[in-house]
Amino acid sequence: MGTDHSAVWVIAEQIDCHLQSVSLQLIGRARKLADQLGTSVEAILLGDKIEEQARQLIAAGADRIYLGDAPELAVYQPELYTEIVVKLARAHPPEIILIGSTDMGRELAPLVAARLQTGLTAHCIDFVLDKEMILEQRIPAYGGLLSIICPEKRPQMATAAKGVFPTPEPDDSRTGETMMIDIPTHLPGRIKTLEIIREEPEGVPLETAATIVAGGAGAGDNEGWKEISELAATLNAALGSTRPAVDEGWTELETMIGQSGKMVSPEVYIGVGLSGEQQHMVGVVGARVMIAINNDAKSPIFEQVDYGVVDDCREFIPQLIKKIKAYQEKQVTC
Amino acid sequence: MLNIVVCVKAVPDPKEACNIKIDPNTKTLLRCDVPMVLNPLDKNAMEAALQLKAKFEARISVLSMGPPEAGNIVKECLALGADQGFLLTDPAFGGADAYATAFTLAKGIEKIGSYDVIFCGMASSDGSTEWVGPEIATFLDLPVVTLVKEIVDCDGASWKVKASVENGYRLMQVELPAVLTVTRELNTPRTLSFSGIIKARKKEIEQWGVDELGVARETVGLKGSPTIVSELHAQEENKRQAEMISGTRDEKADLLVQKLVDAGVL
Amino acid sequence: MIDFTFTEEQEMFRKAAREFAETQVAPHIDEMEKTGEVSDAVVKALGEAEMMAITIPEEYGGLGLGYTERLIAVEEISRVSVATGMMLQVFALGIEPIVKFGSEELKKKYLPGLAKGEKLSTTAVTEATGGSDPTGIRSAYKKEGDNFILNGRKCFITNSHIADTITVLAKDEENPKAFCAFVLDKDMAGWKATHKEHKVGMRGCNTGELAFENCEIPATQLLGEEGKGLRVTMAAIGDVGRGGMVGVALGLQAACLEESIKFANERILYGKPIAALQTIQNKLADLKIDLEAGRLLGYRAAAMQDKGQRSSNEFAVAKYYTTEACQRAAKMAVDIHGGYGCMEEYAVSRYLRDSYVVGPSAGTSDIMKVIIGRWVLS
Repeated sequence: MGTDHSAVWVIAEQIDCHLQSVSLQLIGRARKLADQLGTSVEAILLGDKIEEQARQLIAAGADRIYLGDAPELAVYQPELYTEIVVKLARAHPPEIILIGSTDMGRELAPLVAARLQTGLTAHCIDFVLDKEMILEQRIPAYGGLLSIICPEKRPQMATAAKGVFPTPEPDDSRTGETMMIDIPTHLPGRIKTLEIIREEPEGVPLETAATIVAGGAGAGDNEGWKEISELAATLNAALGSTRPAVDEGWTELETMIGQSGKMVSPEVYIGVGLSGEQQHMVGVVGARVMIAINNDAKSPIFEQVDYGVVDDCREFIPQLIKKIKAYQEKQVTC
Repeated sequence: MLNIVVCVKAVPDPKEACNIKIDPNTKTLLRCDVPMVLNPLDKNAMEAALQLKAKFEARISVLSMGPPEAGNIVKECLALGADQGFLLTDPAFGGADAYATAFTLAKGIEKIGSYDVIFCGMASSDGSTEWVGPEIATFLDLPVVTLVKEIVDCDGASWKVKASVENGYRLMQVELPAVLTVTRELNTPRTLSFSGIIKARKKEIEQWGVDELGVARETVGLKGSPTIVSELHAQEENKRQAEMISGTRDEKADLLVQKLVDAGVL
Repeated sequence: MIDFTFTEEQEMFRKAAREFAETQVAPHIDEMEKTGEVSDAVVKALGEAEMMAITIPEEYGGLGLGYTERLIAVEEISRVSVATGMMLQVFALGIEPIVKFGSEELKKKYLPGLAKGEKLSTTAVTEATGGSDPTGIRSAYKKEGDNFILNGRKCFITNSHIADTITVLAKDEENPKAFCAFVLDKDMAGWKATHKEHKVGMRGCNTGELAFENCEIPATQLLGEEGKGLRVTMAAIGDVGRGGMVGVALGLQAACLEESIKFANERILYGKPIAALQTIQNKLADLKIDLEAGRLLGYRAAAMQDKGQRSSNEFAVAKYYTTEACQRAAKMAVDIHGGYGCMEEYAVSRYLRDSYVVGPSAGTSDIMKVIIGRWVLS
């Protein structure tokens, strides 16, 4: 290709032949980085009967797809997927590899990075090229933004979550090359995915919700959490959480909003009993109206929202729910 | 005899973590005032090992890389029921990223010698990369399952475990020896007991540095880390000026309902 | 040079006791407050956590730890629930006399079950006519062959209705200067728990009356020497009882300080948290000073006790100081909370009620001063 830099790669992911949105979002970002570096965007896609998905990646901005299309690749197999990516990376060494921080990505990325003996950064919220054209991998931490770089080892590897970068507009006029890859055989066979079971999530999905109620440590206990959950249900909102609530066991990891959780962009965000910790707030993007209820008047959350109520959420939320229900009933009867 | 290694980390107490600041010169964390505790998910890793020990004849070694003070959490694991402790401590290990940490821990595990299953918490509450478990596995050439939420079958040398995926699980068959990183859902960790603390008096903690591990200084710590922190930026704040809603509880609730109506939620 | 630090191991015991209290006792506080009854779940949890085994020697199934470790445990548990701390500390008053004065048979008979928490214990000294002054008691025994026959009533007995074994002090019917201490258990007929008290505080800790009517006690149940029962009471119940109250009071003081700090940081007046106001800072300082002083007095006495030194006077000082301090602390905590301090949902209102009961337990402040006065003048 006659460039100074090798390609920018994205390890794309499909589930049941549905391309994951984070893969498209990373292609979009990779495109921008590659254009600055004067190089190409390449993606690896593994699955079974996924040619159409390969085309989607090209429409999103990829120049070349390394396609592994075989029944044994239908679901994520750690040994096989790692071996394929590592072999490809050795055969066509990339400059950068980006991976979505899905449950698969968060396992595959370190397996690949350790095999390639290179660095890997987790949960990035931005990628920027510095003056030396090295990838600055930015993560929020302790009130600031850290830039992490991998100055010497190659490829530079990083993960980012769905929703950090925008989904690119597909350009069906784009062309690209698809290379079929050989499936390795003779692997040790010490680990095998037997089956993957997924259920429909309950309630309103966080990523598309117009209103989100997020609860934190201030819930106090399960009873307090139930009230917050009821508030969400009463408002037909999605229920989100911070890490302390997950750690206490009041809610599942799937509801966690933040740097190591989900990125959300609701119209209205209501934070209950949480202190506006950076790790969480960085996951809430572009809300029109933000509201917080917290019993500590000094809480940093009140510097990040439009309306604040200082009160013990365990006492206030039941009262608020009563008022909301009263209002809703009036609307029905008027 | 099932040989179990549990990798644990001393982290700043997550309940007081908001007090931690970044040192703008070294670009590492200033942990001084916040007490160090056992990483919460490592308690689940310890509990998994202890439950196996109750089922089978097993020996639990607990391993940690950290400053000398990290010996306290190793002792705590001995009091929970581990049989012996190993602390990898040396100034040369300092400033390590996930890669160098995993490399050093892998060397420690090699030195321990016998291992059938290695448990790690899926992530630490401070670094939170989730990389160390899988990278240890790669350095030791072992299979790994991350996000383990249930051990379905652990009789024999081939185990079945459930790993967490969004809204579900993947059922994995894995041959021992293997690395398993665990989630909070796997179990409810037991608390320290007085008799456990007494029994720990007889248990030993060995301390190993660069020389004992036989590693080159360039392969560990800051020197052995492929990634470094290059810059600390002031974050563009999501600053909004909150209008505080006040009054009695009743009044506040009414006012907030009005705000929700204005915002189009109701 | 005196080393005022705890050992690493003692810090671990404190951590274990705190974790236990926060996870196993805290969830039952509401129920205990509502019913005033002992929580079976809490008793079971205490047994499983080996809290009754702390000062029982290892050869009888105990942990063989000392009075410092015991004080740490009582303090940490009382920080969460004064009622539970009190119940626990009084178990030890039924255990210590057996450990110090029981025959080998009595030790083997009772200590293993007590260590496991399978059996619960208490002590019965106080009566309507004598609590602070045990020589005033009227419960009396007479010897009949191989048995003692006991008649009388005891009041204000902690764990009266839940105890399986009781160390009882009674006097000789015929010789008012002779006293005996016995171990009673449920296999003996002729005694029962009668009236249950309904206390304004320390709810979840059972207090009540015991009645003895021609209760036949085999002579083998005697603790120490016949006629020398007061020695048993003073050596095994006095210090341990006072030491336990110190733990209860310190735990309550710590809880009052923590809640006060939290509230002072959250409550806004004049646009700032009230912690910025000097009058509130004064109160917080007082709470802190009392806590520091109380801890030093308490752990100094426990250290002496661990060394086998006579520590009754030092415990009298510590008991007086900390139980008075915890009453001040609870009142200050309530004051800091303003109107909220009177509301049931706020823990400090419970602390205030608990503090009333801590004061007169195991000897009133006035009696402590009598003891200390005697010490000074001796």
